[in-house]
Amino acid sequence: MPGTRFPTARLTLGQMRRSAGRLTAAGVAIAIGTAFVTVTLLAGDLINRTARDMIAAEYATADLVLSVDDPEGLTRYDDAAVTAIADLDGVAAVQPLAAFWGDLRHAGKGSYQVFVPAPSHESLSPLELTEGTWPARSGQIAIPPSVVERLGVGVGDTVTLQRSVYPDEAETAQGGTGEGSVEGEAEMVEPVAQTDELEITGVTSDPYGAFTGTGGAVAATAGDVAAWTAEEGADVSYEEVLVALDEPLTGTEVPADLRDALAGAAAATGMAADHVAVETTEARAAAKTIEQTGGQDLVFMVFVLTFAAVALLVAGLVITNTFQVLVAQRTGTLALLRCIGAGTGQLYRSVLLEAAILGALASLAGVAVGAVLTQVALLVAPSFDLGIPLPSAISLTATAVVLPLLVGIAVTVLAALSPARAATRVAPLAALRPADAPTLRGRAGRLRAVLTTLATVGGFGLLGLGAALGLAERPDVGLLAGVAGGAISFVGVVLGSVLWLPKVTAAMGRLVNRSGPSARLAVANTLRNPRRTAATSTALLIGVTLVTMMSTGAAGARQSADTMIDSEFATDIIVAPGSDETIDEVRSAVADVEGLAASTAIAGSFVTLGDVSDLSVNAVEPDALPGVINTPEEAAKLTTGTILLTEGAATSLRVADGGTITATGPDGTLDLTVAVTTAGPLNRIITTTDLAVLDADAVPHAVWARLATGADATTVLSDVQDATGAVDDGAMVIGPAAQAAQFRQVVDVILGIVVGLLAVAVVIAVIGVTNTLSLSVIERTRESATLRAIGLSKGQLRRMLAVEGTLIAGVGAGVGILLGVLYGWAGSVTALSLMGDVQLVVPWTDLAVVVGISLVAGLVASVLPARAAARTSPVAALAVE
Amino acid sequence: MDTTVYVPLDGMGAGSPAVRARSLTKTYGKGEAEVHALAGVDVDFAEGRFTAIMGPSGSGKSTLMHLLAGLDSATSGQAFLGTTDITRLGDRDLTALRRDRVGFVFQQFNLLPMFTAEQNITLPVELAGGTVDQAWFATLVETLGLRDRLSHRPGELSGGQQQRVAIARALIAQPDVVFADEPTGNLDSRSGAEVLSFLRRSVRELGRTIIMVTHDPAAAAYADRVVLIADGKIAGDITDPTPEAALAGLDALRTLEPSVAVGGDA
Repeated sequence: MPGTRFPTARLTLGQMRRSAGRLTAAGVAIAIGTAFVTVTLLAGDLINRTARDMIAAEYATADLVLSVDDPEGLTRYDDAAVTAIADLDGVAAVQPLAAFWGDLRHAGKGSYQVFVPAPSHESLSPLELTEGTWPARSGQIAIPPSVVERLGVGVGDTVTLQRSVYPDEAETAQGGTGEGSVEGEAEMVEPVAQTDELEITGVTSDPYGAFTGTGGAVAATAGDVAAWTAEEGADVSYEEVLVALDEPLTGTEVPADLRDALAGAAAATGMAADHVAVETTEARAAAKTIEQTGGQDLVFMVFVLTFAAVALLVAGLVITNTFQVLVAQRTGTLALLRCIGAGTGQLYRSVLLEAAILGALASLAGVAVGAVLTQVALLVAPSFDLGIPLPSAISLTATAVVLPLLVGIAVTVLAALSPARAATRVAPLAALRPADAPTLRGRAGRLRAVLTTLATVGGFGLLGLGAALGLAERPDVGLLAGVAGGAISFVGVVLGSVLWLPKVTAAMGRLVNRSGPSARLAVANTLRNPRRTAATSTALLIGVTLVTMMSTGAAGARQSADTMIDSEFATDIIVAPGSDETIDEVRSAVADVEGLAASTAIAGSFVTLGDVSDLSVNAVEPDALPGVINTPEEAAKLTTGTILLTEGAATSLRVADGGTITATGPDGTLDLTVAVTTAGPLNRIITTTDLAVLDADAVPHAVWARLATGADATTVLSDVQDATGAVDDGAMVIGPAAQAAQFRQVVDVILGIVVGLLAVAVVIAVIGVTNTLSLSVIERTRESATLRAIGLSKGQLRRMLAVEGTLIAGVGAGVGILLGVLYGWAGSVTALSLMGDVQLVVPWTDLAVVVGISLVAGLVASVLPARAAARTSPVAALAVE
Repeated sequence: MDTTVYVPLDGMGAGSPAVRARSLTKTYGKGEAEVHALAGVDVDFAEGRFTAIMGPSGSGKSTLMHLLAGLDSATSGQAFLGTTDITRLGDRDLTALRRDRVGFVFQQFNLLPMFTAEQNITLPVELAGGTVDQAWFATLVETLGLRDRLSHRPGELSGGQQQRVAIARALIAQPDVVFADEPTGNLDSRSGAEVLSFLRRSVRELGRTIIMVTHDPAAAAYADRVVLIADGKIAGDITDPTPEAALAGLDALRTLEPSVAVGGDA
């Protein structure tokens, strides 16, 4: 029926032209949300392509890849099969994909590397030679640049390969080389350490990134790789064989006769012909990508899209707000239209059509921005040397364009549903009444109050239950309950915010009320349209709650990890030499490392304490202990004649703090005073003087060291490893501090990513604040003019709007922070209680930053509307419309 | 209706003008499209008097008031409030002027909906950062009959009551002059008469100076003097007008040539 449809469309377009400015601001919110979705989808596609490229890189430029299609996974290609295939007519070369892992060492440094056979044919090698030659005979290798750097070696040098050899049952093959002889039954075969001297003949590069994950690969002769693999006790067989043909394949299909010939050759050596899969390189790479990523790219997408959903939810709130005000402003026009015969359905459709047009335009812009951003990121990425070969251009898949577009339109239209209903409620009579300040008086339904209260209370109940389950060491069920409870209660809080947030705003308003007439005006203005203010604050509240929750949770995780590491490890770095004879060398090596505050040797022996025999005790110099320990005040309790015991140890030995216990060693007996310590790692520690009495032969077996303040744990740990690696027999280095630092770093990176993703929602919310303020300014033109006429200065007018902005933002941020800390704590208790006592940490710095950003954002959001308001001439107050 | 002529008491003004216009001109547009809203107006408004500016639509009466009140800028000429030439003031000084020396009463009342009557009345003093003179406030409330309405919000007041609140707001800072722009334009005749009586009482009993713009001869009759304006020029002057005299003056403007003095020598 064009008769009814056409005027609606024309009306809609006319209305949109008049409200263009306001719609643009709302459109930006949607555009950001859809750009987010687009970037996520494009990035997902890029990750997928990169993974496929890396897998395909392994196949070099082979024509065909032979793999195994065996449901039981037992079939493999052996050397006979490979040879048979290579002997076929038309096959130029074959290369079985093999890998052997071993430790390359040189001058005290080591590098764990993957070894692959040197290529049989140039088209079958992902590696390229940049220097020297390929290994030609046994005992030669070509190494990647990472090994050149790590070990400081080059072409012509010799390095040592450390590998394990499992002697076969005959026990003849390798007998005698290893220091450890084989004892016990045959199935308890102990590996024997084997070293080989290898000559470096060349340096390789990995231009297509086939070995990105392993830092390059070492090429050795195929014979060496096979021999080392066999000596390790593994079968020399392959899952994949690369084939280069004399005549390159044309087309994407493998000809049937070629397939049959290859399968037949393999079958002739005993393989089942139907287990031989022959594919082109591309087909195999695509199939293997799916196999390897196993849907993980999907998990990544869902993870990121969750944040996009949050951003779109916030954008939806902004849209709803905007349309509510637009409808309110158009009350007169709408009523007039009703007077001249427009039906409610037409008005409803007109608003929804407006939303759909806005959604479509904004989403298109969003998709374009998202695509451009991703492409720019791709262009910039290579300069950061990520070590991953990225494609140079994005590919705009249909999904990446259509999905964000549909989502953007859907969100906008959905958000406009309730304002559209409001438009239909405008009575024709309203056209005849002079409407002064149009405000939509929505009745906050009783149903809403009941449902949101139920959701909030029930959700928090579930959250509490989750925490209780976590404390009861059932974090799996607890997390389920906690996540569900958190989500339900948050939905309740957000949907119910229009009911209670105005009261919070009023309370906060009373605080700022006293600071002058501008503030009083601002507070009164904020409260005159409580629903709109609440919706604007809620938009910010969502982002702030999630950011705060994440940083509170992260702070809790960091704290718990620190506590756990402190309670399990006495000191920052522990070094145990490979043999007792080298302890002094290790000690001096450690002492020379920069970045360590102190180090001391630990001796040990087994003694009888009270009536319990064979207890290990450690001994240190009492003066040196406090310097290397994380808990120096506990260390100070150690004096000659005392033994440190934990509460638990003291109880089981039936002694109390200050009591006496008899220690009996191979060389003597002492009565030691018990000092109970809270530091677990200091359990059963005595002084070296006392240990010498108990066991004259006791020698130091480890070195404890503590980091200097400000030293980088990871760097120092690596330095200690290098320094002690140079000592004969090496040493085992444990770095709790580095572990803690690494863990902290991982937590920080994850937190950074998550907060970055959530920041999008916060940005949209800030746009919402600006939008709300601008709309208020437009609505209140006459009022602003009156105020100016009765003596409000431009400065006061700007201040008034600044206070309004910060009040709206402050309420959102304040409530958001409270909720976020609560959720963060609940999450920590539920998830982390397994790691020990959870400490409820408040990340004050983070919170201060969040509050600061929110308030500044509110302030900034008021700048543009305030400029518009200040331009209002007082004459406008006199105008009669 | 009370039409008795009010003769000002000695010493209550009439001598020194509160507001003066000298060759005040305002033009809109340029060249062919140039429109003279005000074409060189010279007029004095006496202190302690209630003066009405009357003229038909488009005569320039509103423009004259905007310029005299410093709400709009003149193209040329001068407007004095006391001895201050307000055409030379910047926005900051004009804001201060509006705070301390000028009050406004609007046709649409323009009360702030979220504040009570009392809060609306005291707002100008608060904006200026001053303290409300409680005795003056009580006098205003008493004179305007707002005692029972102070805690009501504008939405709970009748039009007449709202306009009385607006008058109190205009007078709270004891300004040199109050400008009223069609103050009865949005009121029924009863409320209108009531508001006009209050304006007149403010002048008589409280010694204020009020300049009112109106196109209604009945309203103008409440004033001590009517200044007639047509086509951007002063077209007549009636002292101690009656509604009939005012109506006759207005009719004369519509039918006769401009600048003909009616009902007394200007």
